[in-house]
Amino acid sequence: MAIVVAENLKKSYRLGKNNFVHALQGASLAIEPGEFVAIMGPSGSGKSTLLHMLGCLDDPDNGRVFLSGREVTKLRPSELTRIRARELGFIFQGFNLIPALTAIENVMLAAEYAGVNGRAKSERAEKMLDRVGLSERVRHLPSELSGGEQQRVAIARALVNEPAIILADEPTGDLDSTTSAEIIGIMRDLNRAMGRTFILVTHDHEVGSKCDRIIRMRDGVVDEAAG
Amino acid sequence: MRVLRNVFRRKLRSSLTIFGITIGVFALVVMGAMAEKINLLIDGGTKYYGDKVMVAEATAGNFSVRPLSLKKVEEIREVKGVADAFPQVYMMLDPEQNMSFGMPKMLVSGDLKANKYEEKKWKIGYVAGRKLKDGDIGKSVVGADLVKDLNAKVGKKIKVRGKEFEVVGIMEKTLTAPDSTVSILLPDAQDLFVKSLPVALQKTVKKEDLITSIVVYPKPGEDPGVLAKRINKEVKEVKATGPAEFRKQTGQAMVIFNTIIFGIGAISLLVGGLSVINTMMMSVSERTREIGIKKAIGASNRRIIREFLGEAATIGGIGGLLGLSLGWAFVQAVNSATAGTGTVVFLVTGRLAIGATLFAIALGAFAGLYPAWHAARLNPVKALRYE
Repeated sequence: MAIVVAENLKKSYRLGKNNFVHALQGASLAIEPGEFVAIMGPSGSGKSTLLHMLGCLDDPDNGRVFLSGREVTKLRPSELTRIRARELGFIFQGFNLIPALTAIENVMLAAEYAGVNGRAKSERAEKMLDRVGLSERVRHLPSELSGGEQQRVAIARALVNEPAIILADEPTGDLDSTTSAEIIGIMRDLNRAMGRTFILVTHDHEVGSKCDRIIRMRDGVVDEAAG
Repeated sequence: MRVLRNVFRRKLRSSLTIFGITIGVFALVVMGAMAEKINLLIDGGTKYYGDKVMVAEATAGNFSVRPLSLKKVEEIREVKGVADAFPQVYMMLDPEQNMSFGMPKMLVSGDLKANKYEEKKWKIGYVAGRKLKDGDIGKSVVGADLVKDLNAKVGKKIKVRGKEFEVVGIMEKTLTAPDSTVSILLPDAQDLFVKSLPVALQKTVKKEDLITSIVVYPKPGEDPGVLAKRINKEVKEVKATGPAEFRKQTGQAMVIFNTIIFGIGAISLLVGGLSVINTMMMSVSERTREIGIKKAIGASNRRIIREFLGEAATIGGIGGLLGLSLGWAFVQAVNSATAGTGTVVFLVTGRLAIGATLFAIALGAFAGLYPAWHAARLNPVKALRYE
């Protein structure tokens, strides 16, 4: 059974008085557990909006989203907060760490939101940072880390609560191609070793080529023909 | 300390806000210390006057002193409800003394027999020497605040109104009237009192007959206010005052004083609070993207609110502690500078210190409410796109 299902999602935003953007116009998809999927498409095709809906950050005007068989589009905001904390992991493009917190504190923050405290919190965070190859730099602030290192911290943060689904929005957007390949390599390893489902929004074809499957989007719908 | 690190991400801005609160709390502590001192004086006065009636010459004012005849003591003792009445001479320690802040320095002589009534209420201790006893002509007991001023030591002499007295005792600090009082025996006081009268008058009066006031102790169960009225009706040429009169006079003064303190508190609340709101709003808007990330990875609205409220309360708390320390240092400096003249103006009490600090923390948190609520309400998607 698919772990992530989107059914006919529609969403429009109002920018000006008579200026509507139809970001999603009936997008549907289904992703199996353990898949490593890229969502690709030109800017404005609605891929980020779709990812936000899968991540319970935004709600559609129409349509339904199911995560692990549960319809999340009808849950209350507090329940969505809980799902984001415990069942989902997020990785964003650049600058997505809290600048005032060290690497390990950034990772521990996510554990804290999931209700993990005390020694378990720091142990888990250290283990995860070790796993992404950053055990040497856990006490550094984000400003003291390179772009690739920052993104590794973000990966560790996304995975610290061992969520079933990890969502990444342009995770390599600010990185050079070598570092980019490294980051995707780490994510792929974690996908294989831990069996987590990864959904990446990207417009980098190098990244797309390393995924199990590419979901292409155009004008707010999933382009079935290209899939 | 994550909260502190967040507060000092913008060092200058946070420091200025904290400084604003510091000034407000400083003003509050200094003014409050003055009020606490006065409250204590008045509490002492209320206790002192609480259960007795003071009788003066009919035309005497609050602090102006007119001679009264000793014969009136006998007349008052005859009034129904009077347990006992004692003559007293009560005058300014220094005839040139102006009305100063706090309690005026006084020279008092009472009847030693009145002590059995007074000691029921409070027992004054002695840091050195002993209390006055019969036959102590030419001897005196000095209040705690006057020790420096008069350079008083047990066994040494002090000069009061041109006459020397040997010090036999120094009283413990009571924080009220006795601190600024020199006590001597009645005959000595009568002697000094006669000398203070105009020369022409001095020859017409008999020294032993002159007093300034009479202290009247009511019988148990007798209301001092009612007794004062009865004395006024039955004894001529005197004015009796019950404790209600004292409370009425000081009560009015305290209302005005407390209003001023409250006003300063309100202004510091407004100024400090507004600047905390401003600082926190800027902080929320700078950290919009960060708030978006936190919400995306699972921070509840409550957590976001708690985070910003904590920062606002910390700003208030640091400002409060700084203001308290500055105020305390100021009060100590002024008190030690004026101690030499026997005037102690300020008193920082525990409840004032704790109250001022808690007030600052509550003020910070209260001012942080709106910014925190604003932060929690941010739409995570929009916040994430914010650059």
